[in-house]
Amino acid sequence: MPRMLQLPPQIIRLVLLTIGIVCAFFTARFFLTPPSFGQYGHYRANALQDIAARQPFWAGKASCLECHPSHAQKLAQGEHKGLSCETCHGPGQAHVVNPAEKLPKLNISMCVRCHQASPSRPKWLHQINVHNHYTGSVCTECHVPHQPNEVP
Amino acid sequence: MSESITRRGVLKNLAAIVGGILALPAARTCKAAVQKGLASSHAPAGYDPFKHKWLMALDVDRCIGCGLCVEACCEENEVPEGHFRTWIERYVVTKPKAGSGETRGETMVDSPEGGKKGFPELLVPKEEVLKSFFVPKLCNLCEKSPCTQVCPVGATFDAPDGAVLIDKSYCIGCGFCVQACPYGCRFFNPVTRTADKCTLCYHRITRGLKPACVEICPSQARIFGDLKNPVPDDPLQKFISANKVETLKQYLGTGPRVAYAGLDEEVR
Repeated sequence: MPRMLQLPPQIIRLVLLTIGIVCAFFTARFFLTPPSFGQYGHYRANALQDIAARQPFWAGKASCLECHPSHAQKLAQGEHKGLSCETCHGPGQAHVVNPAEKLPKLNISMCVRCHQASPSRPKWLHQINVHNHYTGSVCTECHVPHQPNEVP
Repeated sequence: MSESITRRGVLKNLAAIVGGILALPAARTCKAAVQKGLASSHAPAGYDPFKHKWLMALDVDRCIGCGLCVEACCEENEVPEGHFRTWIERYVVTKPKAGSGETRGETMVDSPEGGKKGFPELLVPKEEVLKSFFVPKLCNLCEKSPCTQVCPVGATFDAPDGAVLIDKSYCIGCGFCVQACPYGCRFFNPVTRTADKCTLCYHRITRGLKPACVEICPSQARIFGDLKNPVPDDPLQKFISANKVETLKQYLGTGPRVAYAGLDEEVR
């Protein structure tokens, strides 16, 4: 390689230095980039799994139906058929894991939360003014929550 | 000076470079083996993000403003106090002044605590209200999400299944994305010290459950489904075919996907 040997030494040093910097960059990138980065796009693909790894808090209606099918049948006939069990009864994951762990008893506040009259609420919803609808505080004296059209 | 560069020296350097390149696959295998041991094992197996396309739709006429969805979301995702991944806005439009020739008076929007505990009584007397309604809000699942575009470190991304997610181990908490979102759907989480937002309850949908807000909504105001795998009698498909749907702030070109039915012109 006679021609290369004729190159001025400062050029050769410059070329070697450039090669060195490029190599250092690729080496650093190789070891510092997470393995799944760039698999789907400009992000770490394993992040999808990390985010999905969280445990659900609400059990879901399907879990309730496994042990309480009769309640579900009754619910499906009434106007509350679209409701999930946990909408009124609260989070049930702990009860699913350990059936001895009972869910809290419900009171009027759950009914009023949806059925208190308000001009902002849509007209299709049954609304009551809780102050003059009934003097008592137990809605279930007159209404069956699982089947609201029924009178006990 | 020229004596220092010899044929032997150049060949040696070349050999070193070639040797280094040949050693790469071996190094890569070692690195992968080490990092595999550190990967999480709680994620649901067998979920392929390319085989799904999730979408949420909202029926404004069905929302009763009970706030149970907001409460459910906060509990499901441990959202810190005062921040919301989803929230409900109450719009109150007053009647126009008599003889003003306007279609409507003032528009007021409130969302006390994101609607988490329901809404207090209206401050405007009932007779002065032209109309009032509730609008649930959440991440609009943009196709060209501005929050993703501004992230300087690749911590937020549009997942192949339609969710816009944050890699919390990558987020540096600079807050650019919080400012970039024109829908106000992002916030800075003071506990994790990263940006935070609706994940469509990614940990639930990958397990075949509905997002917490959809599960808990008592009036089916929130409809959720998979556009790539419609179930028989799919509620999302039914909703889109039965309603005239639109998305929020289309003029911004962010490609929002969350479909709303029954929107009023005041809703932004």
